Amino acid sequence: MTPLVSFDRVTLGYGRRTVLSDLSFDIPEGDFLGLVGPNGAGKTTILNALLGTLAPRAGTISRAAGLRFGYVPQSDRVDYGFPLPVIDVVLMGRYDRIGLGRRPGRADRERAHAALEHVGLAQLAQRPITTLSGGQKQRMLIARALVGEPSLLVLDEPTTGMDLVATAQILGLVRSLHENDGLTVLMVSHALNEVANYVERIALVVEGGFRIGTVAEIFTERTLTEMYGIDVDVDSLNGHRVVVVRREQPPGPAPEPDRPTGEGAHHA
Amino acid sequence: MLEAVLLFREALYGTLLIALTCGLLGVYVVLRRIVFVGAALAELSSMGVALGLWLSGFGWAAGVATHPLLLSVIVTLAGVLFFALGGERSRIPPDAVIGVVYAAAGALGILLIAKAVAGEAHDIFLSGNILGITRFDTLTLLAVCLPVLLIHAGFYKEFLFVSFDPQTAATLGYRVNAWNLFLYFTIGVVIAFAMQFAGVMLVFNFLVLPAVAGLLLGNGMKSTFAWASATALAAAAVGFTLSIPFDLPTSPTIIAVSASLTLLAWLARRLRIVPAT
Repeated sequence: MTPLVSFDRVTLGYGRRTVLSDLSFDIPEGDFLGLVGPNGAGKTTILNALLGTLAPRAGTISRAAGLRFGYVPQSDRVDYGFPLPVIDVVLMGRYDRIGLGRRPGRADRERAHAALEHVGLAQLAQRPITTLSGGQKQRMLIARALVGEPSLLVLDEPTTGMDLVATAQILGLVRSLHENDGLTVLMVSHALNEVANYVERIALVVEGGFRIGTVAEIFTERTLTEMYGIDVDVDSLNGHRVVVVRREQPPGPAPEPDRPTGEGAHHA
Repeated sequence: MLEAVLLFREALYGTLLIALTCGLLGVYVVLRRIVFVGAALAELSSMGVALGLWLSGFGWAAGVATHPLLLSVIVTLAGVLFFALGGERSRIPPDAVIGVVYAAAGALGILLIAKAVAGEAHDIFLSGNILGITRFDTLTLLAVCLPVLLIHAGFYKEFLFVSFDPQTAATLGYRVNAWNLFLYFTIGVVIAFAMQFAGVMLVFNFLVLPAVAGLLLGNGMKSTFAWASATALAAAAVGFTLSIPFDLPTSPTIIAVSASLTLLAWLARRLRIVPAT
């Protein structure tokens, strides 16, 4: 299958500084890829190169003919001080299709309403964007990405600053778009535990190092310890993958396990 | 009172035109948080005039002295290029860069005028000479403002998108730098021309206060533009009309009315006379 995007021995950087070099990977159609790494490791650099806003210093980035990105920026990169209703923001996803100097038509509005319905915001179409919660803002931006009928949905840190419930809802929505609508998805995040339980493949970028594979291949103690440079434990909790930094045990006898106490505790 | 105002009707038309155009462009200026770019461009514009007058004293640029607009437009557009494309390249915070340009251009303009043989009193560049607007001046302003307003009507969604979310606009193929430059260019040209008649203070007022009132009263972009232009026109008409019979300086009177209208808009929002957003 022809990949939607292909990096072939790509070197990336800014000014005189090289951030990543000799980077090679593909994003095939139907993929659900998580681009994961700590802040400052180079995720945004890869993202900018993928989106075409940063030219590679060396190597080639190929994009499939007619590829359309549905880009969901980090929420704080959008200026919510603008007096715009939700529907007008969603319509922006069709601006390039509408054409220069032309206004959105009825068909564009219908698509925008359908996209809002798809993300569960149909009732908020006329609501000013300043009044939305963090999760609603993110849904609105996803609707805007969808209304442009993208071939690759790209989300940049979609859950930053959200509480547990909103995070689960957004990640569930993205997984549903992939599984039910067949969308190819690239999700950029620093939260390895979140991403690992939703995506199918992980691209791990840490301080100039890069590794890509299935979640099972990447999410191992050996790989993560090697990449992050610290000892980690990988475990499974009710079917969820969890990685934690290994805590050094103080010398002496092992502590006794915690005993449940107080109301509601069950005693043997 | 009306007769006295009608004596200056050409000046009133010119003032209304400046008010309308700056009031509408001001919505972008305020929303994009480039209020002081507007002030710095106005100072650069006045410095351009001063430069032309100063150079003419040496026998250079004699033609420019009779048409100080030309150097003013050139210097303002140089400022437009600097501000539109220089965004994140410096270690110095952008607002500090704007402050440097504002202070340097303002001082240099006054120094050049002080030493210009063909110079006029420098305060004309601060307070303007709005009552001196002739029919020819109004037509000149119309020739500048009308195309700018048409450009903004035609490319509304493009200017909106690159202002609201430039990163996403870039992923959809928009040349964000070019659109930003175009937007700044329209603002710069209007400032350069309006400055000749209205002065730094009044132009800055029309770029900021009506837009603030529009944002307080409007619930969407269209209503914000509508309220901003209505506030600018009302301030210009009322301030102009009051200044003549009461023998008040026109520009400060217009600014005082603008400030009063903005205060009323704030009160209307606080008292929930207009729905909160």
